Amino acid sequence: MENYTKFRLKKVDELTSVLADKDNLFIIACNKCFKEFETVDEPECGEFEKIAGENKKTVVGSARIDFLCNKIQTEKKLKDLIPQDTENIFVISCGLGIQTVADLAEKPVYAASNSLNYRGFHGMALTQKKCDACAQCFLNITGGICPVVDCSKSLVNGQCGGAKDGKCEVDSSKDCAWEKIYRRLEKQGRLEEFLNQPVQLRDYSKVNYKVIHDYVKSVRENRLDGYYGGVHPSERKEFTEHLALKRFPDPKEVVIPLSMHAGAPANPTVQVGDTVKVGQVIGEPAAFISGFVHSSVSGTVTAIENRPHATRGECLSVIIRSDGKNTLHESVQPREDADSLTPDEIVEIIKNAGIVGMGGAGFPTAVKLKPAKPVDTILLNGCECEPLLTADHRVLLEYADDVIFGLRMIIKAVGAKKGVIVIEDNKPDAIALMQEKTAGCSNMEVVAAKTKYPQGAEKMLIKRVTGRQVPRGGLPADVGCVVSNISTTKAIADAIQKGMPLIERVVTVTGERLKNPGNYIVKIGTNTKDLIDYCGGVTGDGEVTVKAGGPMMGFVLSDTNVPIMKGSNGIIVVDTDHTKEQPCIKCGRCMDVCPMELSPLYFAKFADEKNWQGMKEKNVMDCIECRCCEYICSSKIPLVDKIKAGKNEVRGMK
Amino acid sequence: MLITELKSRETIESLADGQKVFIINCLGCKEVHFPEKEAVSLQKELAAKGEVTGILTTDYICNPENLELRLSKHKKALEEADVILVFSCGVGVQTVAGYLEEKKVYAACDTYPLPGFQGVTPLEYQCDQCGECYLNLTGGICPITACSKSLVNGPCGGTKNGRCEVDSDMECGWERIYRRLEQLGRLDVLKSPVQVHNFATDDEVS
Repeated sequence: MENYTKFRLKKVDELTSVLADKDNLFIIACNKCFKEFETVDEPECGEFEKIAGENKKTVVGSARIDFLCNKIQTEKKLKDLIPQDTENIFVISCGLGIQTVADLAEKPVYAASNSLNYRGFHGMALTQKKCDACAQCFLNITGGICPVVDCSKSLVNGQCGGAKDGKCEVDSSKDCAWEKIYRRLEKQGRLEEFLNQPVQLRDYSKVNYKVIHDYVKSVRENRLDGYYGGVHPSERKEFTEHLALKRFPDPKEVVIPLSMHAGAPANPTVQVGDTVKVGQVIGEPAAFISGFVHSSVSGTVTAIENRPHATRGECLSVIIRSDGKNTLHESVQPREDADSLTPDEIVEIIKNAGIVGMGGAGFPTAVKLKPAKPVDTILLNGCECEPLLTADHRVLLEYADDVIFGLRMIIKAVGAKKGVIVIEDNKPDAIALMQEKTAGCSNMEVVAAKTKYPQGAEKMLIKRVTGRQVPRGGLPADVGCVVSNISTTKAIADAIQKGMPLIERVVTVTGERLKNPGNYIVKIGTNTKDLIDYCGGVTGDGEVTVKAGGPMMGFVLSDTNVPIMKGSNGIIVVDTDHTKEQPCIKCGRCMDVCPMELSPLYFAKFADEKNWQGMKEKNVMDCIECRCCEYICSSKIPLVDKIKAGKNEVRGMK
Repeated sequence: MLITELKSRETIESLADGQKVFIINCLGCKEVHFPEKEAVSLQKELAAKGEVTGILTTDYICNPENLELRLSKHKKALEEADVILVFSCGVGVQTVAGYLEEKKVYAACDTYPLPGFQGVTPLEYQCDQCGECYLNLTGGICPITACSKSLVNGPCGGTKNGRCEVDSDMECGWERIYRRLEQLGRLDVLKSPVQVHNFATDDEVS
């Protein structure tokens, strides 16, 4: 890849005259964007320091910063950076970086560089001018060769006639664009079509800067709404969002992993040959962070052995052959006295019901509801920001009362002041229903949040709704919040109202390659392959990818012979994307979308160099693995894999 | 930074008219802007007419290597098509046209420029890359882009109530510059010699 430069230092004479009446300089240099990401050191800063030295000026300090024009991040980086004794700030950057610093710094800011023109740059077309953004694309009549850019005179109705031997008369190193266009059209048999084309007029007023300006303003507001970063992947929820829940037929056999939660796997409490009933405990917590596991059918334990697991490779599982009767276990008893339960009793019921975070992470809910710090706000996470998934959406619509009951129990258990149900604005029916249902509850409110991924991530959700920032490495309780998933909250209601532990859940089975998408109530331990087959299996041509979870954070299932678990919110069957990792071009997109405000591009570079210390210093441990960076990466670098490798190494360093 | 807008419905329909069409959607710059909803509903209508041989929704088709890799999975549908209809910026259309030289490759979008070079968030500042940065004389507010007339030696005098006479929605760039310099105690800068805007410094990088 060629190196690409956007600015260069002003000439020595000019700099000398600018420096004449100034001293005590602080220098800020932008590490250029869109360039080979090998050399971090830019020469301009050193050159300017030399010129300042020759002019006998005191340089009080200097800093090299990435993407100086990223105002939000630059503002944070500049804080406490500029020493007190600085009188003048010199910026080496393109005009955007200089204006950014000039706006932020309270001291006089000077440009030490001139910007260079490269209007053609976009995406991968770094060193070639390919599109002039004329707002009236002519490519349709020219066989896909741009007459505005490729013709020196930007003629749109044919050649000027000045070409010599196929070369442009303005620049003889260039081929005549209209000869290229002629040859292309000839090849496609479109010469006649071209000659019959009416005369084209280039309308320069099509590029209306005012419209563009207003547009930029509105997009900026949207992008920065609620929290920094985030992306808007195609939602594709229409496959399933309007389909009512259906019960998946009872499986003949269930494979129930003893690890469906964060922390230690449960210890089995049954033996091969035992008869079990629905809701009976088959595994008990092995540690503080662990959980109970229950049978989802009645029948006989046929094996306790390692079986394939969606996220852990293999896991000790209890295999139960169903007798088809679904006989309830004696322990499954409704609590009539729900309103007189004490907070401790509520947490105990939740613990005994084996309830864990059903959004995927599987953190034991009972542990979460005993926060170490006072909590005033419960956030019910109804964002479901993952594309394709609609399980929580359907639960909100079809079990609204249960969800509200569950929320009431959580508020009581934690002693919070209020509960906030947060729903993204792509689910207006759920918002309306919950508003109606909570109208009489003084301690509950519904917040409609503008759709943006990963809004459902705890830290983003808290920031978006309360404006509070969970500290680095901290928990929601550090800022007085507990976040609970919708399905989890419904499970809490079931545990109290029906006495039913967590033995089934709603799973979205969907994707453009699945024949009959839908939302199903599925027993824990049901085989994923059976579920896909029941939905008509795979359709269409080409390779498919099956994931447990959504397209952003889901796990690829190379083998679908794995059970549905407490955290299985979706099974998606989608087209496989075929790409090859390209070198990073430092486009800065990953930095623009990272909700944790990290610099993912460095993680890719450092992982390739095995520079784990560097990763640690760039706060790799703060990454929430939301995959925004990988989604937006213009070079299709598998960033999350590299980040995970880095996190493993950093953990080992301690 | 570039963004796209759909060409008129009539234009797109006339491009596809009666022919077999393969559609390529590029969502690479979707975070900045892509008329996804309009594009998808239009494509559904085309597909309903039975003329669509395939749809590839992908990103960064301006990256030739990955474009080739992805298109290679759609060989049959591409061969069947008379027309490739590309929903992307001009760079993407040209990349596809360069790869499928024998096919009619049509642009379904027009491309507009946006301020900002890096990332996906458009910037609040503009830089016209004039090649002779004036920010030293203006307290860091660009007279080329903040003044409708790109004046580099002070206001035109046409300002009314601090508003630009060309566009009354816009603040006068030179009044902003004056205030900034006043704030910095650097009004003396305004006494610097007359500046001449040399358009020949508008160098292109190659």
